[in-house]
Amino acid sequence: MTQTLIHRHTRLSIFMHWFNAGCWIFLLLTGLGLIRNDDLQPFPFWPTMLRTVFGGGGNLLLAHELIGITWAGGFLLYGIIRLKSDVFPFIRDIFTVDIRRDFLWLITKGIQMTLGYKLLGVVAEKFDFNPKIPDQGFYNIGQKIFAIPAVFGGMVIAASGIVMILSQTGNADTEWVQWAIVIHFITVGLVFAGLLIHVFMASIAAGEKPAFISMFTGTVPEDYARHHHKLWLDEFKKS
Amino acid sequence: MNKQLAMVIDSSLCIDCKACTLACKIENNVPDGYWRNWVKRSEPDFTNPEWMNHRTPLHFQPGGCMHCEAPTCVQACPTGATYKDDAKDGAIKVDPKLCIGCGSCIPACPYGARYKHPTKNIVDKCDYCEKRRERGELPACVITCPTKARVFGDINDPNSDAALLLKKNQSIRITNKESDTKPNMYYLSATAPLNWPVKAKMPDAIQLWKLVGPLIWGVVGLNALGVLVMLGKQLLITDKEPDTDISRKETRRS
Ligand code: HEM
Ligand code: SF4
Ligand code: SF4
Repeated sequence: MTQTLIHRHTRLSIFMHWFNAGCWIFLLLTGLGLIRNDDLQPFPFWPTMLRTVFGGGGNLLLAHELIGITWAGGFLLYGIIRLKSDVFPFIRDIFTVDIRRDFLWLITKGIQMTLGYKLLGVVAEKFDFNPKIPDQGFYNIGQKIFAIPAVFGGMVIAASGIVMILSQTGNADTEWVQWAIVIHFITVGLVFAGLLIHVFMASIAAGEKPAFISMFTGTVPEDYARHHHKLWLDEFKKS
Repeated sequence: MNKQLAMVIDSSLCIDCKACTLACKIENNVPDGYWRNWVKRSEPDFTNPEWMNHRTPLHFQPGGCMHCEAPTCVQACPTGATYKDDAKDGAIKVDPKLCIGCGSCIPACPYGARYKHPTKNIVDKCDYCEKRRERGELPACVITCPTKARVFGDINDPNSDAALLLKKNQSIRITNKESDTKPNMYYLSATAPLNWPVKAKMPDAIQLWKLVGPLIWGVVGLNALGVLVMLGKQLLITDKEPDTDISRKETRRS
């Protein structure tokens, strides 16, 4: 069966996505290994193990800092060269919210993901709303709810990381550095919590396989686009 | 038993010559305006006629990082850059490659034993002259003291000078009532001053972390649970999207 393929991601944005994912995994694992304090570390075996692997806490810190700077620098560069073509449209996409439609999407999709279509029908009947999951644009509201904190969280994480680097060159006040450490941890924790859902939805959830494949090929089948991102497809067809 | 390095100090021998503080400064390249150790003095009490019987109305008390058994500096450090080296000698150390100089540990020490090094940008304090000890020598302050007020050694080794001195005499540890860090610095009793250690202060940011940490881990855990539920549902229940029926009915309704 041949299908019309619709362009969804450019090669560079695909590269940036996997660059981001790779850096994130490395930074999460090494970052967790940097926390060693009886009151702050629920998994004390991890810092112990990682420091052995890296040959000391100093090397672990250095590795975390180098990859962190690479990650932030990569995005800075990408942001500069693709400001108009990628960054602005992306920001516009993730911030365009249709409150009624998207709220209904969250309710219906949420029930379907946990209880299934059958019970969604029953609940909808009982509370008298339309059980059809509303059409969505380039990103659905679930993706937007993850993307917004991922983008701004990423900035907060990078900024607090830089404050910690500046501490080591004598350019940051210790009180700022202490707050930076805590903010770094909290932001990573919250984005990571969202990331768990993101990874599940993108790589395991039923019906999402074409999106996963598109993160390598850059294209999605037209049927998939119609089903998951109809408003985007309509827009795409018009232009 | 593990080694536990400690200092046992007979402060009545101290003549306030401050040779130990200079020796330390030179040995450890301590920058201008900072000190790793000190000699404190009592407030002279001239109202007590007894002072005439002493050699001096003042009492001098040498000190430095006390390499505490329950160190609040270690509790304040997020990364373990400040740690108690129980495997080696029981001393409290700063890993210079891991420390980022956040300074959390500085107000957490009741004794003011730490400072942020102005050019290395990491925290510095007494390490019992680790480099000298690796060469088999005593710490600079100990070897320099002309009256041998500072006695240093492994107090878990009953034959060490420190352990013997401790055994033969009554000793005390100087602590703040609100933050007893169980210092490994013993003073032969009748030392003064005693009331100078301050209450250990955890920086606000670190306190907040200790408070919200469990919350953050909780959110991560809940989301992980959510993913497992969705995964379970997907694996166990076949859930086909109903077509026409409901949709048509809905279209009519809406
Ligand atoms: C190995 C783990 C990951 C997988 C399998 C994965 C998969 C995907 C896929 C398939 C998409 C495209 C969705 C679409 O075409 O609509 C996507 C988008 C995205 N990814 Fe990832 N990703 C991973 C890690 C990450 C990480 C670490 C971040 C950083 C926080 C991240 C941030 C994003 C963002 C912001 C988007 C766009 C909005 C969205 O689709 O939610 N991803 N990811
Ligand atoms: S004296 Fe201060 S710096 Fe030294 S171990 Fe005790 S709490 Fe830490
Ligand atoms: S300044 Fe103190 S608390 Fe901060 S990393 Fe260095 S040793 Fe740890």
